Amino acid sequence: MYCAGIDAGSRAIKILLIDTDSLEIIASGVADQGKEHDALSRELFERILKDNGLKREDISRIVATGYARNNVSISDTTITEITCHARGVCHLVPDAKTVIEIGGQDSKVLRLDGQGAVRDFAMNDRCAAGTGRFLEVVAAHLGVELQELGEMRSRSLKPAAISSMCVVFAETEIFGLLASGTAPEDIVAGIQAAVAARVCALVGRNVTAPIIFTGGVAMISGMADALESVFGQPVSTAPDPQMTGALGAAILACRQRRDGVDTL
Amino acid sequence: MRDVPKKISIEEWDKRYCELSASGMQQPAYGGPLRRHVGDGDLRLLKLRYDNSAASLHLWNFLLTEEERLYQARDEGKKIVGVMKDLGTIPVMAYSLPDVVAFYPDGAWWIPCVMELSAGLLGIADSLGIDESFCPVRAMLGAFVTGSHFPKTDLLVCSVGATCDDFSAIAQRLNGLGYPILWWEIPSRRHPDPGERAIHLPGGFSAPESQVAFVKSELQRVRVALETLTGNRLDDAALSEGIKMANQFRSLLSQLRELTFNAEVCPVPALEMLIAEMFAIHFCSDRDEAIRVLKGLLSEVQSRVKAGKGVLGTDAVRVFWMNPVADLRVMELLEQCGGRVCGTEYLFCHALDEIPEGVAPMEALARMALADPMVGSSGDRAARICSDIRKFGAEAMVISRIPGASHCAVEGGVIGDIVRAKLGIPVLEIEVPPVSDSIESSLRNRLEALMETVKERRKRCTVRA
Repeated sequence: MYCAGIDAGSRAIKILLIDTDSLEIIASGVADQGKEHDALSRELFERILKDNGLKREDISRIVATGYARNNVSISDTTITEITCHARGVCHLVPDAKTVIEIGGQDSKVLRLDGQGAVRDFAMNDRCAAGTGRFLEVVAAHLGVELQELGEMRSRSLKPAAISSMCVVFAETEIFGLLASGTAPEDIVAGIQAAVAARVCALVGRNVTAPIIFTGGVAMISGMADALESVFGQPVSTAPDPQMTGALGAAILACRQRRDGVDTL
Repeated sequence: MRDVPKKISIEEWDKRYCELSASGMQQPAYGGPLRRHVGDGDLRLLKLRYDNSAASLHLWNFLLTEEERLYQARDEGKKIVGVMKDLGTIPVMAYSLPDVVAFYPDGAWWIPCVMELSAGLLGIADSLGIDESFCPVRAMLGAFVTGSHFPKTDLLVCSVGATCDDFSAIAQRLNGLGYPILWWEIPSRRHPDPGERAIHLPGGFSAPESQVAFVKSELQRVRVALETLTGNRLDDAALSEGIKMANQFRSLLSQLRELTFNAEVCPVPALEMLIAEMFAIHFCSDRDEAIRVLKGLLSEVQSRVKAGKGVLGTDAVRVFWMNPVADLRVMELLEQCGGRVCGTEYLFCHALDEIPEGVAPMEALARMALADPMVGSSGDRAARICSDIRKFGAEAMVISRIPGASHCAVEGGVIGDIVRAKLGIPVLEIEVPPVSDSIESSLRNRLEALMETVKERRKRCTVRA
C-alpha cells in the first residue's frame, strides 16, 4: 500500500506517493496552483495514479499540507507545512537542526530537536518580502525568467544595496537603479541578499547547523549562497526542495495509518 | 452549574436566554439577551462564541452596558473621571470617594473591533494626524471627538513618562484638541543602586525608595485634584477602604485565574477570562457590581472544576498569552485550533496583585503603580512571565503584537528569546489588527503549527517515559 502527501502551496501543487512500509518514493508530480485548488489537486493526483498504473484504492491515506490544504477534498486530514517540512527534511537529512523554507508567499525558519520534531519556528508576517513572490516581481521587472536569477547573480561584480524590503517600494527602487545604470546582475545580487537578510531577521544569526534550505525558492540558484552569507554558516539545499513538504505529509500519513490515528 | 458547559454562538444564546429566563434566572438591571448589543452596532458579537452560563451572560452584559452606566451616572450628578494609561491605580483612588465614577477611555481601542470599524474612529484619528503608525488605542481620539461612546468627563487624568510612547503622543494630541489633562509622571523603574534603600513591590520587584516617594508625590497631586473636583476630602481611612475593596476584586480574580489556568479541563473560555481580567483596571465603571459579576463567574468556575467539566477537550494545548488582542476573535481562534489559555500577561499584571495593606495607603498605591510591567525592564517582565508559565504549566507561549504599538516592536522578541532560553518551550509571535478576518488563515496556520509542535513534543515525552 501507499500513502500520499499533497502540498497545496500558493504557487504550485506538489504530490508525492510513498510506500507505507519502506517509505520509498514511488511517484511524484507538480502542477501550477490556480483558483480551483481542489480541482487542480484532484487532477494532478489522478494523473499521477494513471501514469503509474495505480488506482485510488492503492492509496491508503492522504495528508494535505500547505496554504490551500483545507481545500483539498481528497485528503483524509491536514497538517501544517511547518510540521510537514520538518518531517520531510529529517527523512532526507536526519541530523538537520535548522530548516529554512522559502515558498511563494511566506518564509519560515524551523528549529528542530535533532529527532525530526519542531522545537520552535518563526514565520514572516503578512508581507511578500523574503518570499518567492518578491523574487518573481523582480524577475518580471528585469524581463528575465525566475530560474535565470542565480546565473545573473553569479555575474554580479558589485551587488546593489536594496534599502526597501517592501515589494511595492522595491519596484520603484529597481526602476531607479536601472535608470542610474546599475547592472541587472548587481540588482539581482542585491535583491537575493535582501531576501536572505529578511529571513535571517526572523530568528537572528544564532541558528544551529546543519541548516537545510527547502521550498520552491531553494531551486533558484544563488539563494543558498545568499543565505550562507547572512547566516555565516553553510546552508545545504535539500534534495528536490520543492517536494519536501509533500514528502513530510506522505510520511506523516504513513505514521497515522500505522498508529491508527486521525491526527498528529 | 446546572447545564453542561459549552461554547455557543449568539444564535444559540437566543434560545439559551429564553430557557434561562423561563427557569427563573435572576438578572441585574443591565441584563437582557446578548443579541440586543448587536442592535447597538456591536457587529463582532455575531462572529464570537460564548460560554453558555448565566454568569458569563452577566459578564458580557456588564461589559457592553458601560456606556449606559456612565450616562446614568452623569444624569445622577456623579462626577466622571477619565483615567488614561494608568492601569489600575487612579481608579482605586477615585472609587474611594462618594459619587465618583472612573472609567478607562483607552478601552475605546476595542471599539473598532467590536463595531467592525463601522464607527469610523480610526479614520478620525487619521484625520488628526495620528495614523496607523500608532497603536489602535488612537481610536480613543475618535471617541472623544464624536462624543458618542462615553459622556464628557469632569476630569481627565493620564500617567506619562515610562508607560507608553504611543499613548503619550495620542493623549497629548487630545490635550491639544481642548481636553485638559492632569498628567502625572511615572518614572522608569530601576533596580536600587548600592547603598540605596530598596522597597519591595507587588509582583516580586523592587525599586529605590526615592522612586516610590516620587510616585507618591505625583499621586498626591491627583488626590488633591479629586478632592477639588468632588469637594470631599479623600482621607487615608477612605483610601484604605478603597484599597480593601480593590483587593477584594483582585483576590477573587486571583482565585479565578488559579482555578481556570490550573484546571485539568478548561472551565471557561479565554474570551470570558480576558474580560474578567480587564475589569481589574477600572471595574467597568462600577466597582461594587464588578465584584458581584466576578463572584458569579468564580462560583460557576468552582462548580465546573469540582465536577471536572469544561468547555474544551482534555488534550487542549496549554498556552501562555502575552499582550491583549486587538481583535477579540483571536482568543476564540486559539481554542478552535486546539489551544487553551493557561496564564496571561496583558500588560497590567500589577493590577492583578493585591495592593499592600500594611503600609500607608498612598505609599501602597505608589508601590503598586511602580510594579507596572510597562515601566520596568523587558527582563523584569520576562521574569514574571517565566514564573507564571511554570506556575500554570503552559506548554507554549503566544506573543500577540499590537500593530503600531511601539513597545511591542522589540519587546516581544526580547521576551520570547528569554522564555525560549529559560524554559525551552515554543514561542509564537503574531500580529493582531482590530479586525483580523483578512489574515485569519495566516493566523490559524501559525496557531495550528504551534499546537502540532506541542503535541509532537508530548508524544516524544510519552515515548521516552
